[in-house]
Amino acid sequence: MKETPLAADEQDRALVERCLENDRDAAGALVDRYQQRLFNVALRMLNNVQDAEDVTQTVFLNAFRMLRTYDPRYRFFSWIYRMTVNESLNMLKRRKPTVTLEDDLDILAPGAAPDRAAEAEDRVGRALMGLTPDDRAVVVLKHFVSFSYKEIADVLEVPVRTVKSRLFTARERLRLALGEGVR
Amino acid sequence: MLNRDQVELIQQEIDGANSPEGSAAFRSLLEKDPDAGALAADLRNLTGRFAQVAERAPPPHLKRAILDALPQPARASPPAIVQWAVGRLRLVTERMEEAIMTKKTVLIGSAAVAIVLVAVGLITGFPPGSHEAATIGGVEPAARYHGRVMTEADVSLKNPEIQALFQNDQVLNLVRSDVFREAMQNQAFRELMASDAYHQVMASDAYRQIQANDAFRQVMASDAYRQIMASQAYRQLAATEAFRQLQATEAFRQLEAQGAFRQMQSSEAMRQLEAKAAFHQLQANAAFHQVMASDAFRQVMASDAYHQIMANDAFRQVMANDAFRQVMANDAFRQVMANDAFRQVMASDAYRQVMASDALRQLQSAETFRSLAQSQALSQAFMREAMRAQM
Repeated sequence: MKETPLAADEQDRALVERCLENDRDAAGALVDRYQQRLFNVALRMLNNVQDAEDVTQTVFLNAFRMLRTYDPRYRFFSWIYRMTVNESLNMLKRRKPTVTLEDDLDILAPGAAPDRAAEAEDRVGRALMGLTPDDRAVVVLKHFVSFSYKEIADVLEVPVRTVKSRLFTARERLRLALGEGVR
Repeated sequence: MLNRDQVELIQQEIDGANSPEGSAAFRSLLEKDPDAGALAADLRNLTGRFAQVAERAPPPHLKRAILDALPQPARASPPAIVQWAVGRLRLVTERMEEAIMTKKTVLIGSAAVAIVLVAVGLITGFPPGSHEAATIGGVEPAARYHGRVMTEADVSLKNPEIQALFQNDQVLNLVRSDVFREAMQNQAFRELMASDAYHQVMASDAYRQIQANDAFRQVMASDAYRQIMASQAYRQLAATEAFRQLQATEAFRQLEAQGAFRQMQSSEAMRQLEAKAAFHQLQANAAFHQVMASDAFRQVMASDAYHQIMANDAFRQVMANDAFRQVMANDAFRQVMANDAFRQVMASDAYRQVMASDALRQLQSAETFRSLAQSQALSQAFMREAMRAQM
């Protein structure tokens, strides 16, 4: 069963405290808890496995380095997801403009689930890459992490109404891209 | 036509964000307006599309890579002054750490380290040439060594500089040691010394400048550098075919020619580096992935010595040095590094032991010894004297 970040706040705080005491087991536990989710957020933001891996690694290393600046009054997952989205956005800015979506998908294909599942993943991936990065971030956090509007707003540091607006705009575009009809 | 509030109501219902009252209002809207039903159906289909996309497992090595890159915790509580000094050092090197911590940048950093390490073999003049100076490469020595014109007196066994070196106990201990003898008798060493590429490197202005560079000397003399040189993992890494292939790639060369190592000094520049086409080509290179996946590479990256050298100010100065960059981009230098004999030397126990010896460190710090590298004739005189001392 999928653990929600909200339910895990206390455990996160305990692990963070242990990390601050140089407990490497705690660092490993934090990686275990978040690496898959952060990797998938980065993957959907970037549509590239290698870049997603690099972003995930960078986020964890930055997080551990800046752990002393983390304010425990706030939720750890918001903090680390925010870093993941921001690092993904940075990666997108750094990307060479001439790198095509097809190139990315070629890299994505190895290791992907076969046949129809892979096709579905490719189509969604392409459609997502057609969104603006800000809109994509909202969709990714909503559909791949199942965050509430409020949680998305906390991660992205925008008002809830902005989350709703971006989500609607993004969905309109996705419906067009995926052939779900036009309204 | 649905208004904004109605659209929001529908979207919230699909997202499970409506209150009971909101859900009731949504159902009422569906009954009144067919467009509302159509929009809700579209959004549900869209949500279904996302549900079909399975969550991917992260690469199995990711956790280890993250944990290996974390700074090692202090093993004992150091004195306050040391803690203060370490804190200051961390401030200075923080940006550098940021640049080297990601996987891609670690590779660049490691390649830079490797090149520095490899260069020492050239700088120290190991091993002795078995040939005569006049026959080397078929080129007149005076034409190749522009900085200092050598005379017969220079290469004489009675040369006072050479004699001074051999009055040093550490030098004598070194040259009389079994490991030094083994290194000198190593066939691969001799082949390397006889190669045209080696002599071309020795003759280049850039090479002469870098060996005269203070920062470079500091790196050569540092404990961290010596520990890396002595490590089994580093030697394995340097001897791999994949590592050699990687260094020989056009993309890697382009990065060097573009001053990639110098750019490592700021994270902003690192971002620019990552935008370069050559960097992307490198990422797609099979040798790159082989090196990254090798145990030897990971062990080197995880070693304290590696972290120390990457944080070393002198090392960073070397990376930023124009002459160093020119040496790295030099075709002859690359040929030397790709040379089978050179790789054998790098992988040999004898070489490792010599490089790790205190005697060598003292030798390297001697001004006279440094001048050896500026003159092949002088270097050969030293080696001849060393062989004589072994008898």
